Amino acid sequence: MLCQNCKKNEATTHIKRVINGEATQSHLCSACAQSLGYNNFFDDFSFNLPSLFSGFFEDSMLALGESRLERCEMCGSSFDDIIKSGNVGCANCYEKFYSKLLPSIQRIHGRVKHAGSAPEATADAVVPKEKTNEEKIADMQKEMSKAIEEQNFERAAVLRDEIKKLKGEN
Amino acid sequence: MNWYRNIAEQGDICLSTRVRLARNITQYPFPARLSAEQKKEVGEVVKEILKNEELKFIDMASLSPAETVSLAEKHLISPEFACDTKGRSLMLSEDEDVSIMICEEDHIRIQTILPGLSLDEAFKQAEKYDKILGSNLSYAFHDQLGYLTQCPTNIGTALRASVMLHLPALSQKGAIHRLSTTVAKLGLTLRGSYGEGSEVSGDIYQLSNQVTLGISEEAAIKNLNSIAMQIITQEKQTRAALVKDDDYLDRISRAYGILRSAHKLTTNELIKLISFVRVGVSEGILSIPAEKLKELTVTLQPATLNTAAGKTLSQSERDVLRAQKVKEELM
Repeated sequence: MLCQNCKKNEATTHIKRVINGEATQSHLCSACAQSLGYNNFFDDFSFNLPSLFSGFFEDSMLALGESRLERCEMCGSSFDDIIKSGNVGCANCYEKFYSKLLPSIQRIHGRVKHAGSAPEATADAVVPKEKTNEEKIADMQKEMSKAIEEQNFERAAVLRDEIKKLKGEN
Repeated sequence: MNWYRNIAEQGDICLSTRVRLARNITQYPFPARLSAEQKKEVGEVVKEILKNEELKFIDMASLSPAETVSLAEKHLISPEFACDTKGRSLMLSEDEDVSIMICEEDHIRIQTILPGLSLDEAFKQAEKYDKILGSNLSYAFHDQLGYLTQCPTNIGTALRASVMLHLPALSQKGAIHRLSTTVAKLGLTLRGSYGEGSEVSGDIYQLSNQVTLGISEEAAIKNLNSIAMQIITQEKQTRAALVKDDDYLDRISRAYGILRSAHKLTTNELIKLISFVRVGVSEGILSIPAEKLKELTVTLQPATLNTAAGKTLSQSERDVLRAQKVKEELM
């Protein structure tokens, strides 16, 4: 995609804004993003600049080599995915890729040791319960009826097969 | 207290104070890796925990585009949240001072927004909901890195506090650039608000903390508060000097004149004109309740106007309606 501003370079910065009553997304190249003033902050209440953020990871990227394909056990993200999107996949990624993330974190914040509050004891935390098979089947049956109503038979067929599978496991 | 209908401490310069805490739940991957169904599930979990609080639960997908954008215009949700509503939900207080965005960039974003300079109070309110949620959920937290967030720029306290400042005098004197360089060295960011691209309309700026790791919540807030106070003092002094200038007084009077007589007003024009009038009010030249000016700039934005009208008005219809409402309020 070409930059909307100069229409020459590849757009790398995607900015979501509300302009004249509509939520819109602007696509800019890094030079235009910078000249339009989107260079001196990386996250705040209104802007989302993953690709600009990923610039922070360059050093770590060079040092990586083949370990780039290692994946987080919880969410399946590789460090490569994190670099590309600028998004960390899950809490476990911070453990898994701790040493790789650290140089970038240090560059962003200057410090690498938390000095703020900690959550209160979470021993009795409500863990969202895994749905039982019966609940899952009920959900799917509902969705399947809706799909049939909407004449979305392909989706309905997929759901029918999934329900069969779940029932089979019972 | 609703931020755009009230004026509070330092209200002639500080329009609002916002505090945002980002939180994630250990058991779920961060939102970018969640399906719409899973996002809904997170919404249900949060809704259940906060069921005894006076917050309205809103399934974002159930709102019209105008209603969604209107929430962003009122700064109750982020533009990012407004761009994609699928699976996302919001919990909003009656006064619109508390809004909890579910599955924005993080699972939970607790935001409080108050009129005037009110950082301690805004933080206290956000903390209240944080404690309720935190004692019922397992938050993603790391001993060294603090609260874990989808974007590493927010880890640590995951606290973003900001004040919206109206700085027409400092901006007239060309002092903004120097100011933003200075605050950057102190770990803060100053940037234009309400503008499109590089254009800052209405001389409204947002001052916020930048660093979230290695600094406590209290220190970050104290720091922001003290710098905000210094900027406010400077703005006050500069305003007092500025209104001794006949040319500037003329601009204030003309702006007031246009607002009271125009047949059509665009959003940008309204914001620019109100900027002058606000100085006139704070310097005792015009006597209009300051909260009225704030309410007009917020409620006459395009999507908020459409929402109030209950239909999609054309740009021209909106401009006429906007001018009419301004006239009614200022006559």
